[in-house]
Amino acid sequence: MGLITISTDIPWLSLIWLSLLVPSVLIAFIPDTQQQLMRIVGTGFAFISLVLSLLIFFAYDPKVAGFQFVERLDWIPQIGITYLLGVDGISLAMLVLNGVVIFTGSLMSWNIESRAKEYWIWLLLLTTGVYGVFVSLDLFLFFVFYELAVLPMYLLIGIWGSTRKEYGAMKLTLFLMAGSAMAIIGMLGIYFQTGLRTFDMIALARNVTMSAEYQRIFFPLLFLGFAVLSGMFPFHTWSPTGHVAAPTAVSMLHAGVLMKLGAYGCLRAAMWLMPEGARDWLPIMAVLTILNVVYGATIAMAQRDAKFIIGYSSVSHMGLVMMALASGTQIGLLGAVLQMFAHGIMTALFFSVVGRMIYERTHTRQLPELGGLGRVMPFAAVMFILGGLSSMGMPGFAGFWAEFAIFIGVWERYPLIAVIAALSIPITGAYILRAVYSVFFDEVKNPEFLNLPKLTWQEYSGALILASILILVGIYPGFLTDMINMGVAPIAQQLNDVIVAGR
Amino acid sequence: MSFFLQYAWLIPALPLLGFALITFTPLRRNKLASGWTATGLMGLAVVMALGLLVGVVGAGSTESHAATTTTETHGEATTETTESHGEAATETTETHGETTTATTESHGEAATEHKAAFTFPAPVVVQRFAWAPAGSTNFAMGIYVDTPVAVMLAMVTITATCIHLFSIGYMAANPRQSRFFSFISFFAAAMLLMVLADNLLLFFMAWEIMGLCSYLLIGFLYERPQAYRAAIKAFITTRIGDVLMLLGLVYLWTQAGSLAFGTAVGEIFNPEFLQRIGTETGFMGMTHATLISLLIFAGTVGKSAQFPLHVWLPDAMEGPTPVSALIHAATMVSAGVFLVARTFPIFEADGGMALQVVAIIGSFTALFAATIAVAQYDIKRILAYSTLSQLGFMVAAIGIGGWVAGMFHLLTHAFFKALLFLGSGAVIHAMEATPAIEKLHHHDEYAAQQTAQDIRNMGGLRTKLPWTFWTYTAGYLALAGIVPFAGFWSKDEILAHAMDHGHPIVYAVLTVAAFLTAFYMTRQWRLVFFGEFRGEHPVVFVNPEHQAEHHHHHGHADHHADDHGHDHGHGHIHWHESPTMTAALVVLASFAVTAGAFNLPFSMPGGHWLSHIWGQAGVGINWMVAGLSLLIASAGIAVGWFSYRNAFAKAQDTDPLDARVPTIFAMLNEKYRVDEFYNATVGRLTALLALLWSFLDRVVLDGIVNGVGHLTLFISRVNFIVDDTLLNDGPDAVADGTNAVGRQTRKLQTGRAQDYAAYVFAGTLALAMLYLYVIGK
Repeated sequence: MGLITISTDIPWLSLIWLSLLVPSVLIAFIPDTQQQLMRIVGTGFAFISLVLSLLIFFAYDPKVAGFQFVERLDWIPQIGITYLLGVDGISLAMLVLNGVVIFTGSLMSWNIESRAKEYWIWLLLLTTGVYGVFVSLDLFLFFVFYELAVLPMYLLIGIWGSTRKEYGAMKLTLFLMAGSAMAIIGMLGIYFQTGLRTFDMIALARNVTMSAEYQRIFFPLLFLGFAVLSGMFPFHTWSPTGHVAAPTAVSMLHAGVLMKLGAYGCLRAAMWLMPEGARDWLPIMAVLTILNVVYGATIAMAQRDAKFIIGYSSVSHMGLVMMALASGTQIGLLGAVLQMFAHGIMTALFFSVVGRMIYERTHTRQLPELGGLGRVMPFAAVMFILGGLSSMGMPGFAGFWAEFAIFIGVWERYPLIAVIAALSIPITGAYILRAVYSVFFDEVKNPEFLNLPKLTWQEYSGALILASILILVGIYPGFLTDMINMGVAPIAQQLNDVIVAGR
Repeated sequence: MSFFLQYAWLIPALPLLGFALITFTPLRRNKLASGWTATGLMGLAVVMALGLLVGVVGAGSTESHAATTTTETHGEATTETTESHGEAATETTETHGETTTATTESHGEAATEHKAAFTFPAPVVVQRFAWAPAGSTNFAMGIYVDTPVAVMLAMVTITATCIHLFSIGYMAANPRQSRFFSFISFFAAAMLLMVLADNLLLFFMAWEIMGLCSYLLIGFLYERPQAYRAAIKAFITTRIGDVLMLLGLVYLWTQAGSLAFGTAVGEIFNPEFLQRIGTETGFMGMTHATLISLLIFAGTVGKSAQFPLHVWLPDAMEGPTPVSALIHAATMVSAGVFLVARTFPIFEADGGMALQVVAIIGSFTALFAATIAVAQYDIKRILAYSTLSQLGFMVAAIGIGGWVAGMFHLLTHAFFKALLFLGSGAVIHAMEATPAIEKLHHHDEYAAQQTAQDIRNMGGLRTKLPWTFWTYTAGYLALAGIVPFAGFWSKDEILAHAMDHGHPIVYAVLTVAAFLTAFYMTRQWRLVFFGEFRGEHPVVFVNPEHQAEHHHHHGHADHHADDHGHDHGHGHIHWHESPTMTAALVVLASFAVTAGAFNLPFSMPGGHWLSHIWGQAGVGINWMVAGLSLLIASAGIAVGWFSYRNAFAKAQDTDPLDARVPTIFAMLNEKYRVDEFYNATVGRLTALLALLWSFLDRVVLDGIVNGVGHLTLFISRVNFIVDDTLLNDGPDAVADGTNAVGRQTRKLQTGRAQDYAAYVFAGTLALAMLYLYVIGK
């Protein structure tokens, strides 16, 4: 029994993704002049999707574990494509994360005025895709939603972005398309080489019939294809430029949720379906992620643009996620998923402070030009500092638990890598504190900043929601860890069996 | 007493409540109310802690007979447990000297070759609950009270209360007083939680939160760039130690499967476990136990500011003085020592290698910092280096196995060093009210404060601040190690332990450090309280940060100077000692005088009390060591007094030591230039790497990406040429056809987004309905 009981007759998971597809259509009906109505509709439905996700989260029965709320319909039975949805502990955490980020992201989008209609449509469509990925258990369906999540990004950045937006948008799209191409090959490899002729992931994972040789060939394609989206070195350069160019809500969604899609794909598609490939390739991936973690953190130190700092910090933190995935241990995977959640919330908070509260008012994000904003907008300062504390793994914030679990997990397999990766912790502290100082505490460099417009209620409430989640999970991570652990246990078990068998 | 035992968790909860009240309720608007709320709640915590101490000690002595069946012993029984090395103790007293009991044998297998393993007294209160349930790996959290914990709690709450009380007076002029109290309450809660923690993870969490509070409080006066820089420096430097410590915990976790204190199976002090990690080799020929201990010790090196991570503590003096007293003297910095004490069985498990490192680092820091303190002028920095040095004493004590001695010195030092810092605060507070500095204050607040802290500008304050003088003197004598003040007993115990257990080098190094301690404290005491007041014409601190702004504020400052012009007459200095400040000083001074009585090295009723309740063997008095250290302390005082008797007729004079050995004095004054060395190496290297990698990312990786882009573009051009000339006609026809169809379809279309959307929506809705009610059933 979950904490609450809900009827199983209703296709809840379909409702979740539909709850964002519907408003994206509804908004198309709203006349251009009625921007306020679009905002209300968009935010309202985002809220509904969040409520639905929470409902599923609390109704999930932890005693039974496994996939629940499964919906299965034949879609194209001739080639084994089914409309198959279901959630386990991993997807639950991601659903809630996506719900929170889209809801707060909508709140942060109330200032969009140019071409607001298209903006809302694309934003909601993108999130529809993200929800779809997190609930689908059919590889093909997974991919369809995945593309739906990735494509609107180009338009969102290209039209509503800032700072070299065309370049950023194009670079991002090309990288992600290249990743998709690799992943598609990997997916087809699974489809053909298993001989099952089905895309049903539950069936594919239940009996892995693919030979170890083929797994070795297709694992890197599928893993790296998704890893591009999670910003793995050396495929990460799209991410900081993309983050910087994107409008606030898109940065929030992008760093907060989309990069997690990549890691989720690596875990759900690559590692789950090809354990033997994983066994052989993960050590190499682990070495690559060191670069992400340490290199990303060091570069963040040298940045002057506040969004670039956050962008590279995302590279570093997602590197920790990938490193934990590469460890393949149960506690490592637990840490990875927890870090996905913690980093998603934290980075959404960062972008809403830097992108929305500060940039929209000061029109600069250059550290040397800012300063003294703590006096002008103390709320923004507090929020940024809370996010920063989580980012540097301060106990009492969600990030701490994630990092602790990750370090244990990585240490179990590769102690040396854990030691090197730990270098990033003081560096993270250094660049966060530097940013805090130059933005909020240094002397005011521009006298105009003393009379900036007040924060709106949307900004207050959005940031407060994000910050409270960080602290809530930080104080009692049991909310999530139990659930996530149930989700990662079978994958870790399977991997461990293969590793033991391979010895 | 069961009330106090059951509700031990209230001890950290009370200051936490204070923090919450001051931060989130309208109380924050009232400076006085917030101060008294915080102080009152800390006072309640003192009551709870003392009640707990009485309860725990009582429980320990009654259970000692009942609970002998367990592998751990407590109370009197354990007093004899560690006596197997009694042969080295020259002066062990009758009660302890005679036998090694059966208890020792039961621990024999876990023991290293030459001595019995260290055991903690049994916990009296253990309350645990699941925190982050995750299947098999369960992060349980809770509190764990044994006698060392109870004593620490009493010490922390008492000093914290005194410092809170002092702050009400000291911070009265600060507009952010309530924020100050909110931070220090939060800090106190974290410190108390750390002491109570039942496992190393919770310990580490509270430890990190303390680090955060330390950062916030050092940077409390964030308008000053120096303060903020010092805060960042403190945070990052301690963080380096903390990261290694975290790795140590991760290592320990993977070995033990938990981080819980206790000797049961699966807990970290389990004898079989300790023996295993003490013998299995981990890496580079070192055992797991050595590696884990050294990693954990890195946390101590950061937090307790031991060499080479000591650089942050002197800079941390940029924080308000009560912060220096609470965090950077009495509690947080000694948490590092407490950490080693708390995990001592692990340090001991490898047969002495890890402890040797601990002893070396500790005694080196003790001497190193003492030499620097000799050549400083800032009253707080002298105390800061003195703190470093005294922490070195404690670390060294534990490193040579003097667990009780180290903990005892930790307690006495907390009282007298907090006293000295608060005393220096009272002095600075009074100095800031002198006309020369007030005048400077209008121009440059920071320079004024630095000038007020310069001991060259003081002198003769004995008659002007009598309460401060007498209490400060008590602290001074305690630190210098004069009998019967607290510091004498604890320092003597460390030295006696070093002598008795065959660590002559440690003994010699610490003795030299003790001499220097007496010397530099006499120098300070003499220059501050005796002679003539030199503050009318002070050595003015030159603020490098202020030059640029100077003109900007100039008109403003002049205006102020005129306003207050009438205050600047000669001889009208209003010397003032606030009652709350004085009260705090008196309480702490009484401890500085008497705290030695907690562990007198005599076998008499009440003697060896701490050893007794902690279940360890007491070190008996070694008359030779005691006499020698008294002699050395007196010599230090005498040399200090006579060197500085006629020095500094006016503030601008040269220090007599500087006059005699200028090169050495300059080197000490510049703190051996360790900071500069770090900046030139680590700092520059990091910055360089950051730039280099940033370049790699922008130019090389992006260059490849852009190159691929250009290549693709080139290929597409070539393809286009091929396409346009050779393959054009067929596709063109297709395109034409498509266009035609398009033209037809377009008529159906109104071109309005709303209409398209309507079609899409209707379609989706229909599909959804179909699914929901037909297929889905």
